[in-house]
Amino acid sequence: MSALVELDRLSKVYSTRTGDVVALQGITLTIDEGEFVAVVGPSGCGKTTLLKILANLEQHTGGTGILGNRELGGKASDDVGMVFQKATLLPWLDILANVLLPVTLKRRASAADREAAMDLLRMVGLEEFAHKRPDELSGGMQQRAAICRALVHHPSLLLMDEPFGALDAMTRDALNVEVNRIWRETHKTAVLITHSIPEAVFLAQRVIVMSARPGRIVEEIEIPFGRERTLELMGTPEFAALSARIRRDFEVKAA
Amino acid sequence: MTAIDASNASAPSDAAVLARPARTGWTPRRRQLVGSTSVLAVLLLAWQLLPQALGTPSYVVPVLSDVLVALFDPAAFPRYLEAAGATMTEVGLGLAIGVGLGLALAITLAQLPTLYGIVFPYVVAIESIPKVAIAPLFVIWFGFGLSSKVVVVVLLAFFPVLVNTIHGLRSVDRDQVDLFRVNGATPMQVRLRLLVPASLPQIFSGLELAVAASMIGAIVAEFVGAQKGLGVLILQAQGRMETPAVFALLIILSALGIGLNVLVRLLRRLVVTWERH
Ligand SMILES: Nc1ncnc2c1ncn2[C@@H]1O[C@H](COP(=O)(O)OP(=O)(O)OP(=O)(O)O)[C@@H](O)[C@H]1O
Ligand SMILES: [Mg+2]
Repeated sequence: MSALVELDRLSKVYSTRTGDVVALQGITLTIDEGEFVAVVGPSGCGKTTLLKILANLEQHTGGTGILGNRELGGKASDDVGMVFQKATLLPWLDILANVLLPVTLKRRASAADREAAMDLLRMVGLEEFAHKRPDELSGGMQQRAAICRALVHHPSLLLMDEPFGALDAMTRDALNVEVNRIWRETHKTAVLITHSIPEAVFLAQRVIVMSARPGRIVEEIEIPFGRERTLELMGTPEFAALSARIRRDFEVKAA
Repeated sequence: MTAIDASNASAPSDAAVLARPARTGWTPRRRQLVGSTSVLAVLLLAWQLLPQALGTPSYVVPVLSDVLVALFDPAAFPRYLEAAGATMTEVGLGLAIGVGLGLALAITLAQLPTLYGIVFPYVVAIESIPKVAIAPLFVIWFGFGLSSKVVVVVLLAFFPVLVNTIHGLRSVDRDQVDLFRVNGATPMQVRLRLLVPASLPQIFSGLELAVAASMIGAIVAEFVGAQKGLGVLILQAQGRMETPAVFALLIILSALGIGLNVLVRLLRRLVVTWERH
């Protein structure tokens, strides 16, 4: 496995009117191609900031970062797909056009692009909704469409910032199973930010625990389960033990 | 068993409850329509009967029939038509220019926070002065012809569009902007494919206000000094104490104003199809 993301003592200071805010400090992290990494940490510890730096939406202020074969902080890379906490679909486009947005911002969508988008929608069970407007879909369905949109241009890195935080527990479980399947089928490298420790353990191969501000990495836990995860896994003692351990790290080291 | 009996027993009464509005046809919508039509009928009747009953002279408040005679006077029709054409030309030109300028400046200001900070206090200040008061000045500067009226209309149409559009552009969701940036959108793409469509509801609200304001602007500008237009005819009729003609002209003006407003709202429905009503 070769590394897709390499962060070396990366830091981020926001300059604000009321003074400097150190959001991230000394983040050293390597993510292999095809790996699924989850990041947990207290609110305000810099998780979103980390994701935005990976997406080139924010510039880091110290250290170095490499994504693929490019330095972070240069020209905005379009080699990432991003899923936000809200679905952020454009209400004036139908679902298919929303999913195709990353393509149509660069060129006219070809028949092959449309086919790829329909394949993704089929994979999440939304093919019948391709020509509906977003407000005709439930919150969970909208978030599924947003995941399709993040994948349609075949990015090498999938970034998700608390994608299911606004959904109910049942929908969330169902979407977690789906994300696991998508990850297995597309072989994407994925970074998931979540407030839910079970969600992190369920989806990730490695869980990163961050400390309260200034955000540092205080623990990395390998999750020894196979690539395929099913909901039954959540009921196993191993799963409970890992979740409990991360919760303890969270309370002792991250606070 | 008892549960089934109970539901059977209640079934006819449920059906009766559901059937009642259908039988009499008194849906809330229908009620409103009948209500507002009756109000109109009563008002028109009062207009016809009250001035006579109170002995009010026709040059003060003419009865409805006199106004209708003036309105449908075949001899006056060509004059009405020409004047309406002149006024609507002022309104149309002024609206087009004012809305265009308002949109352009709004898009510029929304993208340049520093300039916005410098300029916006002045926009607010100018917005709060009664701009029609400047109309006499514009007649001095631009003469009695079309241009002075158009300038007044531009000024009145410009601000509601500017203010509403800026508000719309600035309240666009940050995540949507990030979504575009993450996908390598150019600033022009962000503008045309995100900011403008996302602000269309507010732009149309501004447009509705601009339409109402531009009718006011055109008429006031014509009062101040003009050779043609409905405002000119109103002043002439007033000078001859032909009050029925004044009322007839007011009806024409109202019809044009309402028509323009309906047009904008129709356009809004056609364009902003994702808006819930
Ligand atoms: N644009 C900004 N300007 C100034 N400070 C910022 C900015 N964005 C974030 N911060 C600050 O940086 C810190 C980290 O913010 P960030 O949003 O990355 O946290 P987070 O871990 O995602 O929190 P949450 O779990 O609540 O989403 C916070 O203290 C925040 O106030
Ligand atoms: Mg966050």
